[in-house]
Amino acid sequence: MTRMTNPLILKLEQRDQLSDAEKRALENAVSRVRIVEADEDIVREGDRPSESSLLLDGFAVRYKIVSNGRRQISAIHVPGDFIDLHSFLLKTMDHGVLALTTCRIALVPHTTLEKITDEFPHLTRMLWLNTLIDGAIHREWLTAMGRLSATAHMAHLICELYLRLKMVGRAEGDTVQLPITQAELGDTLGLSTVHVNRVLQELRKEGLIRFQGEALTILDWERLKKVGEFTSTYLSLQNEDR
Amino acid sequence: MREITLQPISVMTDGGGSDGHMILADGLLVAILSRVTEEQTLGGQAQVEGWFLEAGFGPCGVLMSVTPPVFADVDEAVVWVRARLEAGFSPS
Repeated sequence: MTRMTNPLILKLEQRDQLSDAEKRALENAVSRVRIVEADEDIVREGDRPSESSLLLDGFAVRYKIVSNGRRQISAIHVPGDFIDLHSFLLKTMDHGVLALTTCRIALVPHTTLEKITDEFPHLTRMLWLNTLIDGAIHREWLTAMGRLSATAHMAHLICELYLRLKMVGRAEGDTVQLPITQAELGDTLGLSTVHVNRVLQELRKEGLIRFQGEALTILDWERLKKVGEFTSTYLSLQNEDR
Repeated sequence: MREITLQPISVMTDGGGSDGHMILADGLLVAILSRVTEEQTLGGQAQVEGWFLEAGFGPCGVLMSVTPPVFADVDEAVVWVRARLEAGFSPS
Protein backbone atom coordinates (compact mmCIF):
# COMPACT_ATOMS: atom_id res chain seq x y z
CA MET A 1 0.00 0.00 0.00
CA THR A 2 2.98 2.33 0.51
CA ARG A 3 3.24 2.82 -3.21
CA MET A 4 -0.34 4.05 -3.37
CA THR A 5 -0.23 6.85 -0.82
CA ASN A 6 3.39 7.63 -1.56
CA PRO A 7 2.79 10.97 -3.35
CA LEU A 8 0.75 12.37 -0.43
CA ILE A 9 3.40 11.22 2.05
CA LEU A 10 6.08 12.83 -0.13
CA LYS A 11 4.05 16.02 -0.24
CA LEU A 12 3.50 16.17 3.53
CA GLU A 13 7.05 15.11 4.41
CA GLN A 14 8.30 18.07 2.43
CA ARG A 15 6.69 20.26 5.11
CA ASP A 16 7.25 18.30 8.34
CA GLN A 17 8.36 14.87 9.50
CA LEU A 18 5.77 12.13 9.72
CA SER A 19 6.14 9.30 12.22
CA ASP A 20 5.97 5.68 11.05
CA ALA A 21 2.60 5.35 12.79
CA GLU A 22 1.28 8.38 10.90
CA LYS A 23 2.52 7.03 7.57
CA ARG A 24 0.94 3.67 8.33
CA ALA A 25 -2.34 5.38 9.21
CA LEU A 26 -2.32 7.14 5.81
CA GLU A 27 -1.46 3.96 3.96
CA ASN A 28 -4.17 1.99 5.73
CA ALA A 29 -6.74 4.72 5.18
CA VAL A 30 -7.11 3.78 1.52
CA SER A 31 -10.15 1.54 1.10
CA ARG A 32 -9.75 0.97 -2.63
CA VAL A 33 -8.13 2.31 -5.78
CA ARG A 34 -10.24 3.57 -8.65
CA ILE A 35 -9.28 4.38 -12.24
CA VAL A 36 -11.05 7.34 -13.85
CA GLU A 37 -10.63 7.80 -17.61
CA ALA A 38 -9.66 11.14 -19.14
CA ASP A 39 -12.52 13.66 -19.44
CA GLU A 40 -14.66 11.82 -16.91
CA ASP A 41 -15.84 13.41 -13.69
CA ILE A 42 -14.17 12.21 -10.51
CA VAL A 43 -16.74 14.06 -8.41
CA ARG A 44 -19.67 16.14 -9.66
CA GLU A 45 -21.03 19.42 -8.41
CA GLY A 46 -23.87 18.61 -6.01
CA ASP A 47 -22.48 15.19 -5.05
CA ARG A 48 -22.31 14.23 -1.38
CA PRO A 49 -19.31 11.87 -1.31
CA SER A 50 -18.78 9.48 1.58
CA GLU A 51 -15.11 9.09 0.65
CA SER A 52 -12.40 11.55 -0.33
CA SER A 53 -10.23 11.13 -3.42
CA LEU A 54 -6.46 11.15 -3.26
CA LEU A 55 -4.78 11.48 -6.65
CA LEU A 56 -2.02 8.89 -7.11
CA ASP A 57 -1.36 9.33 -10.82
CA GLY A 58 -2.62 11.69 -13.48
CA PHE A 59 -3.90 15.23 -13.69
CA ALA A 60 -7.29 16.51 -12.53
CA VAL A 61 -8.98 19.90 -12.41
CA ARG A 62 -11.61 21.57 -10.27
CA TYR A 63 -14.04 23.46 -12.44
CA LYS A 64 -17.28 25.33 -12.66
CA ILE A 65 -19.43 25.87 -15.71
CA VAL A 66 -20.95 29.31 -16.22
CA SER A 67 -23.49 30.50 -18.81
CA ASN A 68 -22.98 29.52 -22.47
CA GLY A 69 -21.16 26.38 -21.34
CA ARG A 70 -18.01 28.37 -20.60
CA ARG A 71 -15.79 26.72 -18.07
CA GLN A 72 -13.46 28.09 -15.44
CA ILE A 73 -10.80 25.79 -14.06
CA SER A 74 -10.08 26.88 -10.48
CA ALA A 75 -7.39 24.35 -9.59
CA ILE A 76 -5.07 21.90 -11.29
CA HIS A 77 -4.29 18.78 -9.29
CA VAL A 78 -1.16 16.68 -9.51
CA PRO A 79 -0.27 13.36 -7.87
CA GLY A 80 -0.27 13.59 -4.08
CA ASP A 81 -3.16 16.07 -4.00
CA PHE A 82 -6.08 15.17 -1.76
CA ILE A 83 -8.59 16.42 -4.31
CA ASP A 84 -11.72 16.59 -2.19
CA LEU A 85 -10.46 16.18 1.34
CA HIS A 86 -12.78 19.07 2.19
CA SER A 87 -15.87 17.08 1.17
CA PHE A 88 -15.31 15.29 4.49
CA LEU A 89 -16.58 18.44 6.21
CA LEU A 90 -18.26 20.49 3.49
CA LYS A 91 -20.46 17.49 2.58
CA THR A 92 -22.02 18.83 -0.64
CA MET A 93 -19.62 19.53 -3.55
CA ASP A 94 -19.96 23.12 -4.80
CA HIS A 95 -17.89 22.33 -7.90
CA GLY A 96 -16.86 19.33 -9.97
CA VAL A 97 -13.51 17.60 -10.34
CA LEU A 98 -12.62 16.29 -13.79
CA ALA A 99 -9.88 13.88 -14.83
CA LEU A 100 -7.71 15.54 -17.53
CA THR A 101 -5.81 12.31 -18.11
CA THR A 102 -6.41 8.77 -16.92
CA CYS A 103 -6.29 9.13 -13.15
CA ARG A 104 -5.47 6.56 -10.49
CA ILE A 105 -7.29 7.52 -7.35
CA ALA A 106 -7.10 6.20 -3.80
CA LEU A 107 -10.39 6.45 -1.95
CA VAL A 108 -10.35 7.29 1.74
CA PRO A 109 -13.68 6.81 3.56
CA HIS A 110 -14.83 9.78 5.61
CA THR A 111 -15.30 7.43 8.58
CA THR A 112 -11.55 6.66 8.39
CA LEU A 113 -10.73 10.38 8.22
CA GLU A 114 -12.85 10.88 11.30
CA LYS A 115 -10.84 8.18 13.06
CA ILE A 116 -7.57 9.84 12.03
CA THR A 117 -8.76 13.16 13.46
CA ASP A 118 -9.65 11.35 16.71
CA GLU A 119 -6.37 9.48 17.06
CA PHE A 120 -3.61 11.46 15.32
CA PRO A 121 -3.54 15.15 16.27
CA HIS A 122 -0.33 15.93 14.37
CA LEU A 123 -1.44 14.10 11.23
CA THR A 124 -4.75 15.97 11.50
CA ARG A 125 -2.83 19.24 11.51
CA MET A 126 -0.90 18.07 8.46
CA LEU A 127 -4.16 17.36 6.61
CA TRP A 128 -5.40 20.75 7.74
CA LEU A 129 -2.16 22.22 6.34
CA ASN A 130 -2.92 20.43 3.08
CA THR A 131 -6.24 22.29 2.71
CA LEU A 132 -4.62 25.54 3.87
CA ILE A 133 -2.09 25.23 1.04
CA ASP A 134 -4.99 24.63 -1.39
CA GLY A 135 -6.47 27.88 -0.07
CA ALA A 136 -3.14 29.70 -0.44
CA ILE A 137 -2.91 28.52 -4.05
CA HIS A 138 -6.42 29.87 -4.71
CA ARG A 139 -5.41 33.28 -3.29
CA GLU A 140 -2.31 33.32 -5.45
CA TRP A 141 -4.30 32.38 -8.56
CA LEU A 142 -6.89 35.07 -7.85
CA THR A 143 -4.16 37.69 -7.58
CA ALA A 144 -2.47 36.48 -10.75
CA MET A 145 -5.80 36.37 -12.60
CA GLY A 146 -6.72 39.89 -11.60
CA ARG A 147 -3.45 41.73 -11.78
CA LEU A 148 -0.75 39.98 -13.84
CA SER A 149 -0.35 40.29 -17.59
CA ALA A 150 -1.30 37.19 -19.57
CA THR A 151 2.38 36.34 -20.11
CA ALA A 152 3.25 36.78 -16.43
CA HIS A 153 0.21 34.75 -15.43
CA MET A 154 1.26 31.85 -17.67
CA ALA A 155 4.85 32.03 -16.37
CA HIS A 156 3.53 32.01 -12.80
CA LEU A 157 1.39 28.92 -13.45
CA ILE A 158 4.30 27.10 -15.08
CA CYS A 159 6.59 27.90 -12.11
CA GLU A 160 3.99 26.60 -9.67
CA LEU A 161 3.21 23.40 -11.56
CA TYR A 162 6.89 22.64 -12.04
CA LEU A 163 7.58 22.95 -8.29
CA ARG A 164 4.51 20.97 -7.28
CA LEU A 165 5.39 18.15 -9.67
CA LYS A 166 9.03 18.18 -8.63
CA MET A 167 8.02 17.88 -4.99
CA VAL A 168 6.26 14.58 -5.61
CA GLY A 169 9.09 13.16 -7.70
CA ARG A 170 7.53 13.87 -11.11
CA ALA A 171 10.31 16.02 -12.54
CA GLU A 172 13.25 14.72 -14.51
CA GLY A 173 15.80 17.45 -14.13
CA ASP A 174 14.23 20.57 -15.59
CA THR A 175 11.51 18.66 -17.43
CA VAL A 176 7.98 17.72 -16.37
CA GLN A 177 5.16 16.03 -18.27
CA LEU A 178 2.28 18.47 -18.60
CA PRO A 179 -0.62 16.81 -20.44
CA ILE A 180 -2.75 19.96 -20.49
CA THR A 181 -4.18 21.26 -23.77
CA GLN A 182 -4.05 24.89 -24.73
CA ALA A 183 -7.84 25.08 -24.45
CA GLU A 184 -7.55 23.82 -20.87
CA LEU A 185 -4.82 26.36 -20.15
CA GLY A 186 -7.18 29.00 -21.53
CA ASP A 187 -9.96 27.84 -19.20
CA THR A 188 -7.48 28.00 -16.31
CA LEU A 189 -6.06 31.43 -17.05
CA GLY A 190 -9.25 32.96 -18.41
CA LEU A 191 -7.66 33.48 -21.81
CA SER A 192 -8.72 32.71 -25.38
CA THR A 193 -6.79 29.99 -27.19
CA VAL A 194 -5.32 32.68 -29.43
CA HIS A 195 -3.87 34.44 -26.40
CA VAL A 196 -2.63 31.17 -24.88
CA ASN A 197 -0.74 30.50 -28.11
CA ARG A 198 0.69 34.00 -28.15
CA VAL A 199 1.98 33.95 -24.58
CA LEU A 200 3.50 30.46 -24.94
CA GLN A 201 5.14 31.64 -28.12
CA GLU A 202 6.53 34.63 -26.27
CA LEU A 203 7.94 32.51 -23.43
CA ARG A 204 9.51 30.18 -25.99
CA LYS A 205 10.96 33.05 -27.98
CA GLU A 206 12.48 34.52 -24.83
CA GLY A 207 14.20 31.19 -24.23
CA LEU A 208 12.40 30.54 -20.93
CA ILE A 209 10.63 27.27 -21.71
CA ARG A 210 10.46 24.55 -24.34
CA PHE A 211 7.47 22.32 -25.16
CA GLN A 212 8.05 19.01 -26.90
CA GLY A 213 4.68 17.33 -27.05
CA GLU A 214 3.64 17.15 -23.41
CA ALA A 215 7.16 17.52 -22.08
CA LEU A 216 7.76 20.98 -20.67
CA THR A 217 11.36 21.99 -20.03
CA ILE A 218 12.33 24.99 -17.96
CA LEU A 219 15.24 26.63 -19.78
CA ASP A 220 15.76 29.66 -17.53
CA TRP A 221 14.20 29.24 -14.09
CA GLU A 222 15.39 32.55 -12.66
CA ARG A 223 14.04 34.62 -15.53
CA LEU A 224 10.80 32.62 -15.68
CA LYS A 225 10.24 33.36 -11.99
CA LYS A 226 10.96 37.01 -12.60
CA VAL A 227 8.54 37.24 -15.53
CA GLY A 228 5.84 35.46 -13.49
CA GLU A 229 6.54 37.49 -10.32
CA PHE A 230 6.73 34.10 -8.66
CA THR A 231 7.82 33.48 -5.08
CA SER A 232 7.11 30.07 -3.60
CA THR A 233 6.22 31.24 -0.07
CA TYR A 234 2.54 30.35 -0.55
CA LEU A 235 3.43 26.70 -1.21
CA SER A 236 4.89 26.40 2.34
CA LEU A 237 7.78 24.26 1.14
CA GLN A 238 10.00 24.52 4.20
CA ASN A 239 10.29 21.59 6.57
CA GLU A 240 9.44 22.63 10.09
CA ASP A 241 7.44 21.58 13.14
CA ARG A 242 3.76 22.11 12.45
CA MET B 1 -30.67 49.46 -38.32
CA ARG B 2 -27.17 50.76 -37.64
CA GLU B 3 -24.82 51.18 -40.54
CA ILE B 4 -21.89 48.80 -40.19
CA THR B 5 -18.74 49.67 -42.12
CA LEU B 6 -15.39 47.92 -42.35
CA GLN B 7 -11.97 49.48 -42.77
CA PRO B 8 -8.87 47.39 -43.42
CA ILE B 9 -6.03 47.91 -40.94
CA SER B 10 -2.80 46.10 -40.13
CA VAL B 11 -2.60 44.94 -36.54
CA MET B 12 0.65 44.29 -34.70
CA THR B 13 0.60 40.76 -33.32
CA ASP B 14 3.48 38.46 -32.41
CA GLY B 15 5.96 41.13 -33.38
CA GLY B 16 4.72 41.33 -36.97
CA GLY B 17 1.74 42.77 -38.75
CA SER B 18 -1.36 40.77 -39.56
CA ASP B 19 -4.36 41.60 -41.69
CA GLY B 20 -7.14 43.21 -39.77
CA HIS B 21 -10.39 45.14 -39.95
CA MET B 22 -11.87 47.93 -37.93
CA ILE B 23 -15.61 47.55 -37.58
CA LEU B 24 -17.57 50.74 -37.16
CA ALA B 25 -21.21 51.15 -36.25
CA ASP B 26 -22.62 54.48 -37.40
CA GLY B 27 -19.06 55.72 -37.58
CA LEU B 28 -18.14 54.58 -34.04
CA LEU B 29 -15.38 52.02 -33.58
CA VAL B 30 -16.83 48.87 -32.01
CA ALA B 31 -14.36 46.10 -32.89
CA ILE B 32 -10.93 45.30 -34.28
CA LEU B 33 -10.41 41.92 -35.94
CA SER B 34 -7.12 40.30 -36.85
CA ARG B 35 -6.45 37.33 -39.06
CA VAL B 36 -5.40 34.18 -37.16
CA THR B 37 -4.10 30.96 -38.65
CA GLU B 38 -4.82 27.41 -37.61
CA GLU B 39 -1.43 27.36 -35.87
CA GLN B 40 -2.34 30.34 -33.72
CA THR B 41 -5.46 28.68 -32.35
CA LEU B 42 -3.82 25.29 -31.88
CA GLY B 43 -5.43 23.21 -29.17
CA GLY B 44 -8.65 25.20 -29.17
CA GLN B 45 -12.08 23.64 -29.23
CA ALA B 46 -13.89 25.90 -31.64
CA GLN B 47 -13.11 27.72 -34.87
CA VAL B 48 -9.53 26.95 -35.95
CA GLU B 49 -8.74 29.81 -38.29
CA GLY B 50 -10.39 33.04 -39.18
CA TRP B 51 -10.85 36.44 -37.60
CA PHE B 52 -10.05 36.98 -33.95
CA LEU B 53 -11.77 39.68 -31.92
CA GLU B 54 -8.62 41.54 -30.95
CA ALA B 55 -10.45 44.34 -29.19
CA GLY B 56 -14.05 45.35 -28.74
CA PHE B 57 -15.66 48.52 -27.54
CA GLY B 58 -19.01 49.35 -25.97
CA PRO B 59 -21.33 46.32 -26.08
CA CYS B 60 -18.61 44.46 -28.06
CA GLY B 61 -16.07 45.02 -25.29
CA VAL B 62 -14.27 42.35 -23.32
CA LEU B 63 -16.20 43.24 -20.17
CA MET B 64 -19.25 41.93 -21.96
CA SER B 65 -17.62 38.93 -23.61
CA VAL B 66 -14.87 37.43 -21.48
CA THR B 67 -13.44 35.06 -24.06
CA PRO B 68 -12.90 36.78 -27.41
CA PRO B 69 -14.29 34.64 -30.23
CA VAL B 70 -12.71 33.59 -33.52
CA PHE B 71 -15.03 34.07 -36.50
CA ALA B 72 -14.93 31.96 -39.65
CA ASP B 73 -15.24 35.05 -41.86
CA VAL B 74 -15.87 38.76 -41.64
CA ASP B 75 -19.59 38.33 -42.34
CA GLU B 76 -19.92 36.17 -39.27
CA ALA B 77 -18.15 38.86 -37.23
CA VAL B 78 -20.60 41.47 -38.50
CA VAL B 79 -23.55 39.28 -37.49
CA TRP B 80 -22.00 38.99 -34.03
CA VAL B 81 -21.43 42.75 -33.80
CA ARG B 82 -25.07 43.41 -34.76
CA ALA B 83 -26.27 40.94 -32.12
CA ARG B 84 -24.10 42.59 -29.48
CA LEU B 85 -25.32 46.07 -30.37
CA GLU B 86 -28.89 44.87 -30.17
CA ALA B 87 -28.34 43.17 -26.82
CA GLY B 88 -26.75 46.35 -25.46
CA PHE B 89 -24.97 46.07 -22.16
CA SER B 90 -26.61 42.89 -20.89
CA PRO B 91 -24.02 40.11 -20.57
CA SER B 92 -24.09 37.39 -23.22
